Amino acid sequence: MTMHERIPVTEGLFAETAAGPRLLGSRCRTCSTPYFPRSLSCHNPECGESQMEDADFGPRGSLWSCAIQNYPPPLPARYEEPYTPYAVGVVDLDEGLRVVARMSVDDLDSLQLDAEVELTIEPIYRDEDGREVTTWKFKPLQSTAK
Amino acid sequence: MRDVAVLGVGMHPWGKFADRSVTQMCRVATEAALQDAGIEWREVEAVAAASSRFSGGKGWGLNGNDVVEDMGSTGIPVYNLSAGCAAGGNAFNIGWTLVASGAHDCVLVVGGEKMPKGFIQTSGLEEETDPEHLRQLCVGMPGPAFWAALCRRRMQDFGTSHEDLARIAVKAHQIGKHNTNARFRQEFSIEDVLNSAMVSYPLHLYEICPVSDGAAAVLICSADIARKRTTRPVWVASSSVATARFDDGLPRGLGTVVPQTGPTCHSEASIAVGNALEKAGVAPTELDLVELQDNTVFYELAFPEDWGLCQPGEAERLVEKGETLPTGKLPINPSGGFLCFGEATTAMGVFQICELTWQLREQAGPRQVPGAKIGLGQTLGLGGNATAAVLKN
Repeated sequence: MTMHERIPVTEGLFAETAAGPRLLGSRCRTCSTPYFPRSLSCHNPECGESQMEDADFGPRGSLWSCAIQNYPPPLPARYEEPYTPYAVGVVDLDEGLRVVARMSVDDLDSLQLDAEVELTIEPIYRDEDGREVTTWKFKPLQSTAK
Repeated sequence: MRDVAVLGVGMHPWGKFADRSVTQMCRVATEAALQDAGIEWREVEAVAAASSRFSGGKGWGLNGNDVVEDMGSTGIPVYNLSAGCAAGGNAFNIGWTLVASGAHDCVLVVGGEKMPKGFIQTSGLEEETDPEHLRQLCVGMPGPAFWAALCRRRMQDFGTSHEDLARIAVKAHQIGKHNTNARFRQEFSIEDVLNSAMVSYPLHLYEICPVSDGAAAVLICSADIARKRTTRPVWVASSSVATARFDDGLPRGLGTVVPQTGPTCHSEASIAVGNALEKAGVAPTELDLVELQDNTVFYELAFPEDWGLCQPGEAERLVEKGETLPTGKLPINPSGGFLCFGEATTAMGVFQICELTWQLREQAGPRQVPGAKIGLGQTLGLGGNATAAVLKN
């Protein structure tokens, strides 16, 4: 069986690094505010001087909240037919950054708020050339079943 | 600043009107507002209009210009305001400012919108520099999923049940069925709501607002004109506009900072409402009614608490006891709200001023809040926009 070619849904937002998957953002050197995606300037009104530098975020965080996308989402979101509902989450990363994400979970009803989650990069659909299109997702660290 | 009065209000009913343009709908609302005010079109000195996202305005949001051309090109200034779904409230604020500042004595505020069918895209851009576009492209989290995530956090924190949520939709339709301008006028049971399609768990179809076509217009004027034209003016006690704070924790775009202090909330709405109440010199507990932006039943629980109208975690019980009905202690959305009207996005801020005015004049019939004297309207829009206005009789 051949590996399917994988492409990211968009460039510059996430990467597989030597240390594992990371979100690519930035941080202000002056006030330490984290940003995702990368920001050209610091938005913190209390910050004295915007000094942005690239920063990677992840992989650990806790699930602040989540929801299920029960109906097929409008464009530009894409999905494979037949549509299968997926879960989305709002995750508080250990670095003080709150991000939205797809959730990587088989049983959508098993997600529990405040659960520890870990970043992963996984496909969301296959494009017209058969390539797997990937995005960032979070996966609960241990099974919450039972 | 001078006192400003609402002299006339008018509405085109909300619904789906395939054979009518947004400008035609705005004309119906405008003519009704002028007639209600006893003002001729030629007396209108300026127009503040909501820039429509989806209809008319020559594709540039020039909806106020469309209205002026249609009503008669008298050469008056037109201000087209864009603030996402808060545009109607924003237009009202600018109209109020024009009169309060003394720049004009008689201003028309108008908002109309015709919505595309089905679930709307939040972003109008297809650029990968636009965070809202990226959010849908990479995650696929449209409005209802965003509301559902906020709602689920509340369920965790306060033990809100599915029945608690459904009860708000039941309440909305219990009142909205009396409103001839509303699009959905049937009553539902809790079971009906919970049996409606699951849009985004935990929110069902009847627990979020659909999209509608609609238009509303308001004629505002100086105190001198108001006293000459009516014996029962409704006064604009305050009008405010705000944008979101940097650290409110609301998951807009792809990410934000985890709030260090304070709850996660729509800070733009809290600031707009807080400022409006302060400028009006009105305590939250003095409000006789509130028209708030109920895109989802969740907001009807969260907003009254965010704004200090009740205690955190108290809203579910207020709804259960009927306190948010027109006859209760804290009447919310006696119009029937977005749940019964559907959202004609940029028109909603003007729609709220119409309802507040009818309530304060005691012209609201079966949905009347008895003895209503002070009312609050509030809108919310993409980009972290919010508006609020306090009206008094």
